[in-house]
Amino acid sequence: MDVRDAHLNEELIIRYLLGQLPEAQQVEIEDSAFQSQQYMQDILAVESDLIDEYVRGEITLNNREQFERYFLTAPERRRKVEFARALATVTSAVEPETVQNVRTFELPKSKNNLWTFLWGLRPVSALSLAAAALVVVVGAAWLITSGLRVRSQLNQLRAVQQSQDAQQRQLDQQLAGERARTEDLTAQLERERRAEAERAQRVAERSTKPGNPDMIASLILIPGLARGSNAEARVTISPSVRSVQLRVGVEPHDDYSSFRVELLTQKGQKIWSQDNLSIHTTRAGRAILLNLPAKILDAGRYELSLKGTNGSGGSEDVGYYYFDVVRK
Amino acid sequence: MAAAHPHRKWSLTQEAFDLLLRCLADDREIAGEKYLEIRRNLIRFFEWRGCPFPEDHADETVNRVARRVSEGEDLRNPGAYFIGVARLLVLEIVKARAKESQALGEIANSSVESVEATGDEPRIECLQQCLETLSSDNRELILQYYQGEKGEKIKNRRQLTVRLGVPLNTLRMRALRVRERLQGCVEQCVSETGM
Repeated sequence: MDVRDAHLNEELIIRYLLGQLPEAQQVEIEDSAFQSQQYMQDILAVESDLIDEYVRGEITLNNREQFERYFLTAPERRRKVEFARALATVTSAVEPETVQNVRTFELPKSKNNLWTFLWGLRPVSALSLAAAALVVVVGAAWLITSGLRVRSQLNQLRAVQQSQDAQQRQLDQQLAGERARTEDLTAQLERERRAEAERAQRVAERSTKPGNPDMIASLILIPGLARGSNAEARVTISPSVRSVQLRVGVEPHDDYSSFRVELLTQKGQKIWSQDNLSIHTTRAGRAILLNLPAKILDAGRYELSLKGTNGSGGSEDVGYYYFDVVRK
Repeated sequence: MAAAHPHRKWSLTQEAFDLLLRCLADDREIAGEKYLEIRRNLIRFFEWRGCPFPEDHADETVNRVARRVSEGEDLRNPGAYFIGVARLLVLEIVKARAKESQALGEIANSSVESVEATGDEPRIECLQQCLETLSSDNRELILQYYQGEKGEKIKNRRQLTVRLGVPLNTLRMRALRVRERLQGCVEQCVSETGM
């Protein structure tokens, strides 16, 4: 057996301590003890346990005899045995509860078993544990910081997203509104186009169909033209014209409740008249609108007399208008 | 290596002791620590070998080595040299005891002495006093380590290893160091009380 592994073999050490090994093995154990402090301590620990077993009566009979014959020869060993006996007496007198109390008394300032564990570590283990704890703390702080930063960014992104969603909804609403207005305008435009087309069609029909009763010739008569003057008032009546509209201008100061109009030929023959006419005010001014049947107007010159009815019911001359009719 | 002549007693001089220390280490303090460690180991060696006066035998060994060094011996391996001298001394002691046994006859052979439990009270009182001088941690350690018998003692020690977070061998070494310190205190106390 390799003596250098004897520190793991307490039995061999016990036999050495009891003088039961041959000289060669004793030398090996002693040389190992002198070379290795740890091995020396192992032998001392085994010796201490052997002494305790002896004083407690736990040693085997054979070892007990050898112990008393060989082990107790040295006064120092006898003192060790006496001390071990005293220690056994004291420890056996200590109640387990006392030990428990002492255990809790062990750390009066700190009842943290973790602290006790840490304090009991070897420097290398404690340093490694401290380094590991430092790494854990630093890593946790980094994770917390990163998490907070990510959460902040996420909140910002959510806020931006919500804002963009609100803008999108607003834009959608605006777009819907614009589309509705567009549709309305489109419909209105279409209606106006149809109306214009119808009007154009009617105009075209009138111009192409002779005798269309809806054809009207119009003439504007301005007050102040004298008889016999080279008046420019002229109306051309084609065969399709059924009526002639005369717009008779009235001065602003000619303010009557009603008016009467008489139409005379160049020979002075009254061919048409109309009473209870009122003024029509337009952008072109004040005027009386007359609609004459075209058949009463032969080619020639005519005189239109305008009279106003005053408040007493009497008639007063307002003005005379002259115009020519040309027949086609 | 020749054994010292039994009738010539060589006395260790300061010069020889200084020379011995220089063989252990250049630094005198380190050499002194090595010398003390060697002497402690020699004492244990003589105890293990069953010699009756381990300290005296250790000092004799130191004297013999110092003499050899003063005579020009080179200590290449101080530890091995010391224990070699010590073994020779053990042989001398064994031979001397054998001669004494023959001379004394049966009286010398009846050397079986059991340590009776007598006079333990002063020692117990000193032990209790010395326990109070320990720190609470060491006191609790030594009490629980040696608490109980057989299986209970093993259980207590396992609980200690768990609570302290150390292996059993480490716990054993710590208990041994506290015990040695405690024993020294008790022996001093006993000597002071005049036991």
